[in-house]
Amino acid sequence: MPTAARPVVSELMFAGSSDAGPGVPPRRHRVSRTVGALTVTLVLLLGLSGYLVVATHAHERASVEWHALAVRKADELATTQQDLDGATNELTAVREQLATATSRITELANEKAQIGDEVATQQQLADYQKRIGAAAATVASALNRCVTAQQTLIGYLRDAASYNSTDLARYSSDVDGLCRSAQDANTSLQTELTR
Amino acid sequence: MTSSDRPAPPRTAPVVRLLMATLLMALMPLAGCGVVPDLPAPVPTDVTGTARPEPAPTATGNLSPDGFGQAQRMTVRIRNIGCSSLSTGSGFAIDARTLITNRHVVADSAHLQLSTYDGRDVGVTAASTASLADLAVVRTAERLPAAPTLADHDPTVGDPVTVVGYPLGGRLTVTSGRVTGRTTDPLHQSLGEVLITDAPVEPGSSGSAALDAQGRVIGVVYAKDSTGESFLVPVSTVRTVLADANAFTPVPSCS
Repeated sequence: MPTAARPVVSELMFAGSSDAGPGVPPRRHRVSRTVGALTVTLVLLLGLSGYLVVATHAHERASVEWHALAVRKADELATTQQDLDGATNELTAVREQLATATSRITELANEKAQIGDEVATQQQLADYQKRIGAAAATVASALNRCVTAQQTLIGYLRDAASYNSTDLARYSSDVDGLCRSAQDANTSLQTELTR
Repeated sequence: MTSSDRPAPPRTAPVVRLLMATLLMALMPLAGCGVVPDLPAPVPTDVTGTARPEPAPTATGNLSPDGFGQAQRMTVRIRNIGCSSLSTGSGFAIDARTLITNRHVVADSAHLQLSTYDGRDVGVTAASTASLADLAVVRTAERLPAAPTLADHDPTVGDPVTVVGYPLGGRLTVTSGRVTGRTTDPLHQSLGEVLITDAPVEPGSSGSAALDAQGRVIGVVYAKDSTGESFLVPVSTVRTVLADANAFTPVPSCS
């Protein structure tokens, strides 16, 4: 700036000297040049001051707006933080509910399995009793036929003279077969009972 | 014109020169150094961050369809209804319709019943047993919920192990321990060596999958001893048996 200002002053000085001619310029001219320079400087300063005033006001307005924006964002952040806390709490509760639900599902599955085991066991027991009952019925039937046949054979033997001896022997053999069948049925029953 | 003819430079009053110098000094830092502030840019109505935050969950949670882990979803309870007995065991899926268990779990069976971790019943279409190891394969009518991957290699001593099964035929249970060694099969049912672990198992755990830290199958539980050690058919044996199409024969019915 000083290097830019000096030529101006120097040029003014030379311009004045050309009008005033050789020698020391008159005092009136020096004053007018000085006033001119001061005026230009003041105008620059006034312009600068005006710009600074405008800029200051603009910055004040921007500051207020930024502050309002910051407050709004802070409110939004607080709201979001609250939402996040709420969601976190809800997630924790849901996780606990999920853990409870999975535990309950496991428990129910186990209960169902135990019931299935019990049903299977009962079914096996029912099948067993059914087999025992059938075997016992077979034994009873065979014994009944054996006893009936033996009673008939006894009746024949009391009056053996009235019957052919060969027929009596064959009938006696048949009775033995019936009674062996009863014994076999009884053996099967005893086997089932020991299983 | 000589230098003596040149007019003397004009002189200004010292006060005026001082004033002008002061003004120029006042202007110099503003204009020369560029410190005159610019007008502020318009304030936006909203602002957004330049870096979009990446989600960083604090816990992985249980990202399965229903809250159960893969280890639980792949495990199956086996009910062996024999001609005069009933027993239970465990098994695990290796694909959508195939599961692995122990040979002794499915032996002497008149009817096999399967149920999943959530109590669903799964039908059995076929069962076959291996002769060289205490292993069996069961084919299912319905799809199984999940299937793990088999580890590439057997674990080493000290590796963690997790066992998922139905001890004592009860509820689905997960136990953990470590591989403590290798030995020959104490029951003489498997060729080669078997693994020893300290993971707690009980009767009914037979056929359970033993998993490593990544959830891969490293063995199949088949026995325990009175000291609390459990024994595994190692995954290398499982792979060898599965690779042999002739290793399995259908399970004969007891009836």
